[in-house]
Order: sequence, then C-alpha cells, then structure tokens
Amino acid sequence: MSLSDLLAIDKKKRALMWFLVPISVYMIIFFLYPVIYNILIGFTDLKLGRTPGYNGLANYSEMLSDDQFLKSLITTLVFVLGAVSVEVIFGLLIAFLLNHENRLMEFIRTFILIPTVFTPLVAGLVWKSLYHPDLGMITYYIRKLGIDIGRGLIVERSLALGAIIVVDIWEWTPLMVIILLAGLKSLPTEPYEAARIDGAGEVPIFFRITLPLLRPTLLIALLIRSLDALKVFDIIWAITGGGPGTSTTVANLRIYEVGINQLRVGYAAALSNVLLIIGVVIGLIFIKYIYKKEG
Amino acid sequence: MALVGRNGTLHSTLNFFRVLVIFLILIFIAFPVVWILSTSLSQRISMFKLPPKLFTSFILDNYKYVFSHMAITSWIFNSLLISVGTMVFSLIIGVPAGYAFSRIEFKGKKLLLVMILLTRALPTIVLVMPFRVIMQNFGLLGTRTAVILIDTVYNAAFTFWLMSGIFESIPSELEDSARIDGCNPVQAFLYIAIPLSKPGLVTSALFAFIFSWNDFLFALTLTSPDTTTLPLGMLSTFGILQQGWTYMAAMGVLAIFPVILLSLLLQKYYVSGLTFGGVK
Repeated sequence: MSLSDLLAIDKKKRALMWFLVPISVYMIIFFLYPVIYNILIGFTDLKLGRTPGYNGLANYSEMLSDDQFLKSLITTLVFVLGAVSVEVIFGLLIAFLLNHENRLMEFIRTFILIPTVFTPLVAGLVWKSLYHPDLGMITYYIRKLGIDIGRGLIVERSLALGAIIVVDIWEWTPLMVIILLAGLKSLPTEPYEAARIDGAGEVPIFFRITLPLLRPTLLIALLIRSLDALKVFDIIWAITGGGPGTSTTVANLRIYEVGINQLRVGYAAALSNVLLIIGVVIGLIFIKYIYKKEG
Repeated sequence: MALVGRNGTLHSTLNFFRVLVIFLILIFIAFPVVWILSTSLSQRISMFKLPPKLFTSFILDNYKYVFSHMAITSWIFNSLLISVGTMVFSLIIGVPAGYAFSRIEFKGKKLLLVMILLTRALPTIVLVMPFRVIMQNFGLLGTRTAVILIDTVYNAAFTFWLMSGIFESIPSELEDSARIDGCNPVQAFLYIAIPLSKPGLVTSALFAFIFSWNDFLFALTLTSPDTTTLPLGMLSTFGILQQGWTYMAAMGVLAIFPVILLSLLLQKYYVSGLTFGGVK
C-alpha cells in the first residue's frame, strides 16, 4: 500500500467520523443522561416541585417491604413467561404449517402480520369491548359454551391476567412466526437427506434435527419477545387499567402510579431501576449472542 | 421444505389438520379487525342486542359524529406531525452514522454498538420517567417536540442498526473508485451509497412512522391537551361517551387504517424490519 493510499484512508476516516457525531451526542443527551439521572434520583426523595434530598438506600429498603411493588414484579413475571412461552409454541407450530411455497401461504403470511401493526391501545379497547361482562361477544359465546367465567373475564381477579395474555398472544405470535419462518428457510438440507436415507420418521427428524438446528433462531426470538413483553403497558392500560384489584398491575403500571399519580419521582426511579437491571441483563445476553453468531 | 407427511394417509390427515388449524388461526387473527370495522359502521343501539351480530348495518354516522363533535382532526394532525418528525429526525442522524459504522474502524466502536442495542432492551418506563423531569427543565414538557425527541432515541437506534447492516452488504469498491475520480467521502456517501440502499431507507422510515403513530405511553406522559395524539384522544373520550363503542370503533379504524395500509403496501420492507436484531 502506497503512502497516498494511506493518506486517502486517513482522510476518509476523518470525514466519516463526523457522521457518527450527531447520533453519539444525541444518545448521550437523550438516552444515557436520562438513564444515569434515573439511577441517581433513585437515591433521593425527589417529589415533583420540591428540592430533592439525598436519602441513600432508603428507597431500596422501602422497596423490599413494598408488597404492591413486589406483587407487580410477580405479575410481570407471570405475564412475560405466560405470553412468551405460548407465543413460541404457537409460533413454531404455525411456522411449520405455513412453510410451503404457494399463493395461499404467501397471502396468509402477509395477512397474519396485521396484529403486529395494529395500534396497541386501539387493540386494547377492541378486546375490552369483546370482553365486556354483559355485552361482549367473547363473553357471550364462552357463556354459551357453558363455561363458567363468573362475573366476566376481566372482572374476575383470577381470570383477568389470562385475558390480557391472550391479547398479547394475538398481537405478537405473528412476529414469532415470521422470525421462525426465516429460520426454517435458512436450514441446510443435507442432514434431512441423510436422515431420510437412514429411514428416519418425521417426528424424530423434527426433534433430533430441526429443533437443534433452529435453536439459535429460537433463542433470538425468545430474547426479543421477552424484552418487548417487559415493556407491556398500552393494552393493560386500555383493558383493565391494572385491575380488578391489582391483579393485572404489572411493574410498569405500578411505577407509573407511584411516579406520576403520587408524584414520588425518587421512589419511582428506584423501582424502575429494578426493571432497568432486568432489561440490561437480558439485553447483554442478547448482544453477546449476536456477537457470537457473527463471529 | 415440505417435511411433514410425504406418504399416503398420513399425508392427507396432516393436510386436513393443517387446513383446519390455519383456518382457526385466521379467524382468531381477523376477528378483532372485523369487529372494529363492523362496529364502526353500526347503529349505536345494535351494540346492546344479544346475541351480538356483525355488520347489521353500513352507516357512516359514527364517522360523521367523531369529526363534528371531537377534536379528532387536531389529534390526527398531532399524530402525523410527531410521526413524520420522528421519521425525518431518525433518518438524518441514523443513516450517516450507520454508513460510517460499516465503513471505518475506530476506538469505542463496540461501546457505541452496545449503547445502540441497549435502547431496545431498556423498558420504556425507565426512560420516560427521567425524560419528563428533563423535558420540564428544558421547558418542553407538553410539546410535540418532547415526544419526537424520545421517539427518536428508539428509532435512530433502529435506523442505525438496520442501515449499518445494509451498507455492510454493499461493497465499498464503487465508492473507492469514485473517490479516485475526485469524489470526497461525503459525495461518495450521498451519490453512491444512498441510492444503493433504498430498501433500507424505506424500511427505516416505515418503522419510525409506525412506531410513533402507535405510541401511547410517551404521548400520555409528555403531551398536553393541545398536543394530544390520536390514541390518547380516543381514550379520553372513551370514558365520557359511556358505551360509545361505535364512536370509539370509528376513531380506531382511523387510527389503524394508515399503518395497516402502509405495512401491506410495503410488506417486503415491513417483514425485513420486523426481524430486526438478529435474523437477517
């Protein structure tokens, strides 16, 4: 490489470094700074319109005996595990069913994406109406089938979270299907040919070959969905507002209540830092995984 | 890759099972969409009849009502302004950065990528709470700008990630030879790389628009009554209207129509954007 080549590379690098300045500055001001600010006010008793005082770990020790928050964390866990596991299983099943090349399948693959683009708040209001305890269409037909749902799906404490999970499944299974379909299409064909020559049945082929080969895609789909499920807010806000009682109050709703309704900004920040840690841990696993995959 | 059932009876049983399951799935997916459309065209009174029926009438009264009795034009205007603002802003800071990221090595490259990817991992409530306080200090709380600023955090990151992948798949030889012919790096980016990356640009723009259009939490926490967006406006009337489902449905159709239409028209781009973050 000649000197003039090296100079050209250097010139190119210097020019392109400027391209990275806006996004770096933006992310520092509007992403890193708020997050760090949030971590810091978690150690104060900040309330809106008052000067904050440092109160050390008081928020965190209060949290340990804050039953409402702890319960909201459990509700979050149940929601995420319940929704994501069903979405993965359904997603896998539907991806298999749709993994054929013809016009109809192509149409269905387009069509099933509609829930993912449906404004979540509107989806929530629609399902709320379908679940209406007296007039809702779903309530009507479930009762018609003779299934006992008490005063209604979103009125009974024991049923409300399940009803919300169904909405999330409706909304996000299509994403699973699309990701897993992409994974299925990229599988190598050689192992299948070898297995067929050996006379292996379809079921063992699925469990011994397809599933292990699909593992990387499944893991990525699982991580993406878990991170997004952790953000759930709109549909719950629209359907139950966290009720009945606190049966559908996930951590996000609880934090909103403490920070915005009760104006206890410092304490809400401390609560949200717990979610921050959970999100960052899952996120780092995800990032590590992408690095590994790309070598 | 038709793996399931290649022989005789097993094949036809599985085929029947396949058709049945697909049919049920389609009903499950379509039902809320059909319901909202049907309700938006119904008479109010028909909502209180059991058993519930779909498409009992086709009247536009609900649409007329929401336009004449509610501030829906201003909500749509606010939603549009925020969505387009976010889209433009995210492209301006995300696209050149994604390009530079794919073309040069530098110190802190990994750190920048981790920061970008962490935006996806961060629960939105964690960002929105301090954001409110900061916006208040800037005097921006209650403005559309505040919503655009927070939406851009997520969308610029998405654009950056998507575009760096796209530019990586475009060989740099073309730009190098253009540079020998006297193009500077910025010109090479603008006149060679950009035209070659149209699919990525469309995908980025589409996702920024959909993200902002569908947002509720940020609008809820950062806007004021004057700057209310469509989802938020809908919700504020839902309580007042007491069982005003037909009006709600009409507004809902107006909310979902643009995004569903965009995603169907730009289906190829929409799918490639949906698998962001790992599956290429």
